[in-house]
Amino acid sequence: MLLNRVNSGGRWRIRPDGIGKVTGSLTYLTDMTAGSMLYGLVLRSEYPHASVISIQTDKAEKLPGVHAVLTYRDVPGLNAFGIAHPDQPVLCEDRVRYVGDALATVAAESIVIAQQALELIEVEYEVLGVLDDPERALHADAPLLHPKGNAMHRTTFTRGNVDEAFKQCAYIAEEIYYTPRQMHTYMETEGGLFVPEADGRLTVYSPTQHGFMDRMQLARILSVPQDHIRIISSPIGGSFGGKDELNVQPYGALLATKTGRAIKMHNSRQESVRAGLKRHPMRISMKTGVDEAGQLIAHRVSILADTGPYSTLGAEVLNFATEHVIGPYKYEHLDVEGISVFTNNGMSGEFRGFGGNQAIFALEGQMDRLAEQLGLSPWAFRKLNMRQSDDLGPFDQPIAMTEGAELVWSAIENSRLWQEQVRMKDRSAPKHSEPWIKTGIGAALTMHGAGLGVGIPDPAGGRLELAADGKIEAVFGYEEFGQGLLAALEQMLVEQFGFGASDIRMVIGDTDVVPDSGSTTASRATAMMWKSLQRMRKPFTDQLLKQASTILRCHPGELRIWEGGISLITEAQLLLTYEDLAKQTDVPIRSETSFSFPVSDTKRVGAHFMYTYSAVVVKVELNSLTGRVKVVEQQHAVAAGPVINPQGYLGQIEGGSSMALGFTLLEDAVMDKGHYMTRNLDTYLVPTIVDQQGIVEVEPIEHLPASDDYGPRGIGEVGSVTLAPAIAAAVRQASGKWVTKLPIDPAFLQEKPFFLTGE
Amino acid sequence: MSDHEGQSSTSFALHCFINGEEQTLETTAATRMLNLIRDELELTGTKRSCDIGRCGACMVLMDGIAVNACLTMAYQCAGKSITTIEGIAKNGIDPIQQAFLEEGGFQCGYCTPGMIVSVKALLESNPEPSDDEIAEALSGNICRCTGYGGIWRAVKSAIKMRGSNR
Amino acid sequence: MGMNVQETIASPQVWHPQTAAEAWHLKQSLGTDSIYVSGGTLLRTQWEAGIAAMPKHFINLSSIRGLSEIRVGESGLIIGGQVKLQACRMNTMIQRYFPMLTEALRLTAAPSIRQLATLGGNIASSIGDSLPALLGYDAEVVWFNGIEEQLILLKDWLQIARNLHPERLLLRVQLPFQQREEADGLEPGHEELVHSKTKRFYAYHKVGRREAFTPSVVTVSISGILTEARIVKDIRIALGGGQMIPIRLEQLERELIGETVDTQTIRHAYGRVVQLYEPREDIFASSAYRQTTAANVIAAELWKIAAEA
Repeated sequence: MLLNRVNSGGRWRIRPDGIGKVTGSLTYLTDMTAGSMLYGLVLRSEYPHASVISIQTDKAEKLPGVHAVLTYRDVPGLNAFGIAHPDQPVLCEDRVRYVGDALATVAAESIVIAQQALELIEVEYEVLGVLDDPERALHADAPLLHPKGNAMHRTTFTRGNVDEAFKQCAYIAEEIYYTPRQMHTYMETEGGLFVPEADGRLTVYSPTQHGFMDRMQLARILSVPQDHIRIISSPIGGSFGGKDELNVQPYGALLATKTGRAIKMHNSRQESVRAGLKRHPMRISMKTGVDEAGQLIAHRVSILADTGPYSTLGAEVLNFATEHVIGPYKYEHLDVEGISVFTNNGMSGEFRGFGGNQAIFALEGQMDRLAEQLGLSPWAFRKLNMRQSDDLGPFDQPIAMTEGAELVWSAIENSRLWQEQVRMKDRSAPKHSEPWIKTGIGAALTMHGAGLGVGIPDPAGGRLELAADGKIEAVFGYEEFGQGLLAALEQMLVEQFGFGASDIRMVIGDTDVVPDSGSTTASRATAMMWKSLQRMRKPFTDQLLKQASTILRCHPGELRIWEGGISLITEAQLLLTYEDLAKQTDVPIRSETSFSFPVSDTKRVGAHFMYTYSAVVVKVELNSLTGRVKVVEQQHAVAAGPVINPQGYLGQIEGGSSMALGFTLLEDAVMDKGHYMTRNLDTYLVPTIVDQQGIVEVEPIEHLPASDDYGPRGIGEVGSVTLAPAIAAAVRQASGKWVTKLPIDPAFLQEKPFFLTGE
Repeated sequence: MSDHEGQSSTSFALHCFINGEEQTLETTAATRMLNLIRDELELTGTKRSCDIGRCGACMVLMDGIAVNACLTMAYQCAGKSITTIEGIAKNGIDPIQQAFLEEGGFQCGYCTPGMIVSVKALLESNPEPSDDEIAEALSGNICRCTGYGGIWRAVKSAIKMRGSNR
Repeated sequence: MGMNVQETIASPQVWHPQTAAEAWHLKQSLGTDSIYVSGGTLLRTQWEAGIAAMPKHFINLSSIRGLSEIRVGESGLIIGGQVKLQACRMNTMIQRYFPMLTEALRLTAAPSIRQLATLGGNIASSIGDSLPALLGYDAEVVWFNGIEEQLILLKDWLQIARNLHPERLLLRVQLPFQQREEADGLEPGHEELVHSKTKRFYAYHKVGRREAFTPSVVTVSISGILTEARIVKDIRIALGGGQMIPIRLEQLERELIGETVDTQTIRHAYGRVVQLYEPREDIFASSAYRQTTAANVIAAELWKIAAEA
């Protein structure tokens, strides 16, 4: 059954954060100001690669209205950050490695003065050669960007003997796939307010996906104990992985500490483009072979990722890509290797899909090519080689077993669009009134891991409490960046506990108050809240009922949780409001849980345990005059366990697929010799509403094995990973051409009009 | 230069109406409306995002017409009536806002005020727009979260709601 | 205090001339430290991108009297240089008589930008997407050169646009109405018999990098009159796109007039477009892609015209 408002009935709810968003009354952290605040700006490198000879700040410091000009000399603690491996300088000392590198930061009474101060800082550079090509960065004679070399991270996974196996293959597909430097393009650029408190602590109001990680990193930079810093991190105007790493926070924190004044920072879009993370551009070479019957025998993959100047989560992204180039298929012989390389290009890092987008585009492309060589339906070919529910995971690791792959496969097989594809000939007959418009239908499938994987601390947990004012407080260390975390939490508390929405107060995004529930990434937050609530439900409701029964002088077994308070099981009548319960009891009513995201029993770092399965079929129209592709229809099937919040689920798949549409057809943060050429939204183009006029249907598959107690799987990323190969398959049908490079170059698909071909 | 040859100004007193209230703002003639609204008037529902009119996050109504506040300079607003998102719900929530709430026409919410302003401008001038007219009218408002699905549903629902309210 | 750097550093003086002569004198006396501003939308992108510095003086052209109206003149429609693009887009006279211009403006930027930007600005940029449509209607532009008004064919002005003094001021555009005897589609029943079986055709295409709100890669206008026997009686083809100053392909037009539109003619046109159109390349689209696109689109339009005839 399709996911929509009508089919969802009463489960389709208005989001708790909705009214503030539609009326503009919600204060984002970049909307905040303080009475005596100063404005912070950052001086960034003029060059993608240079030695820094000297930084002179005297003139800037003397400018009236300037309160601080800080350089590397002024970083009290570790002059570096990075979630996994801190190798990015907060303020560069002797070398800059990309155009976003920071050299100085300024606090001034106005933005104008701060800007003038930046212009007065004199930096003497010695320009160095630019390593803008990851392949070249691996050459023996390439200058080293970091002491350990330019190979930031390598991965391998092998099974059997592919060289021998290829000799046995009846058909082999060999291809090199290229994917673009996609930009998150969250609408709210980075920024926030940094407030030194009277008690000597620092409050940081700045978006992030993991408040505690920011707190740890900032404490390390400032050289203060972690509990001297309070991070307020929600609401967030979009993130998509892009705000997980620190961005302006080190500068705001340093300036606030130095000046004792509140500091406001808010990146311009150009600065956001220049300094911010992007999706790793990858070159993925694949050679895949099958036997006469179409059984996959051998699969060889080589991944080359451009990670830019510093690590952040580049290694983890490569681990993820390595797992997902294997995907939901079975091969006897496997040889996968990956390398992520330092360059002087822009920073690459975490981005929705986390390396899956690139991997799945390539892998699914191979499946289509092999099916065609075999003369099989591409969908039948997938079925033939697809994992069974009790098979091990891609890295031969134990995984939570579901029939997800089979279920999404069947949903697409039976979909209206796929049935239409089956009826179509190889290339669509020109029936359009403009016969140069060609249509095609294509589909793709994936399994996408959730959670951080083996070897990375992945804590989870939360707290429920009856507050003194009678509110049921749900406290979690997760962030709301638009995905609907609060809506999902409220819905679970209403549906699973029986509270009314107005009984609940949700507290997130404040390190002084919330438990460390881990990061809000990797499609994990909803699943972890669900699990937390499962664990707390009985203890918490038992306490509520027990205390209520004492007050009401009855047996707890006669009572139940109700909207507004406690009622009898036998009749829907409120006996005791939560407010009165809070007032009349002197026992704290509270439940807390902490656990870890479930991981696979393997030593393989990054291997996942829980997967979401998804498949999509799309219909495209190709205008062969211009080579431009329009996606006119999409049908998604997603197997992710129970639908927690129908509106949020639908929105995640629709939104993720729109991002994927941009990845496939439009988006590339073009760089030339280490400089961005697409510096704002006039040249970096994301989909508009006109690009999204096509129908998008989502069919959620809720079925899980009876023994499965892991609950909902993540859906935050999976909508963004399968569309690209499906579009490429549809383009193949429309044009006869195999797309290997994204975004699709219209010139590649352009054809001379049919009436002019042939002499 | 004769007296007829234009008035110049660096400091500039902008007389205009903001959300129905008459205002005189001491500013400069070329100051952008976006700065005046967000920083002087502290109406932060109007968002800053691209600064060059390419995203629509700062959309406001000027005499009922949707314009980008980041492109509009103070002198261009003289005597005009400016409505920000805060002004749209002045007399209670607008049916358009209600429709966005019910259909889930937003996620992170950062584009939402601008989006709603553009829908308001559209439906005030064209109460029953076609799909192509909706698409054209909203083509200057970028939403990165929703993929526009919820926005399509919200606009259609708003059209109905407004129709039945009439 | 705002967070925008470019703007707050410079706080230019804004001058509000009432006449073109005043504006011209201001520009003379303020020199390179000044700039004419209409809607200011294009200028804003240049300032923010750091391509151009914000000058110390703005000369606001929208205060000049009489430049913000659309009216019917003796020989055609007269559009003031300060008329907003969106006003042109929605104007029923333009929709009826100059539909390629309506289409060009529908595809220009987004409505909110078009509410600020002016037709004069779009033309004076010399690369605006309205230009191929205007060229297709033999538009004339009236400039003020400090002494007098000068009328010049748009196509002639575009050829010299890059070399002209920036003090020149665009007052208005004149779009001649099509001759009535040619306009059979508009006034049926009034044509002379000899022309009654002709068919007017027109199309404007913008190929960009996404479906809306996109910089152009190729812009094309093609319009003319075809007889029942599919002979080209009149044709105008104009091309632009990207940073290129649009042109009319007059040589090709002359070659096509009198020809029957068949595969051979279309093939000829295709080849000639590739030869005659010299678009500017950028990081997003090669010159070859632009040429092929233009040739394909023009060929397809001719094919459609022939098929419909």
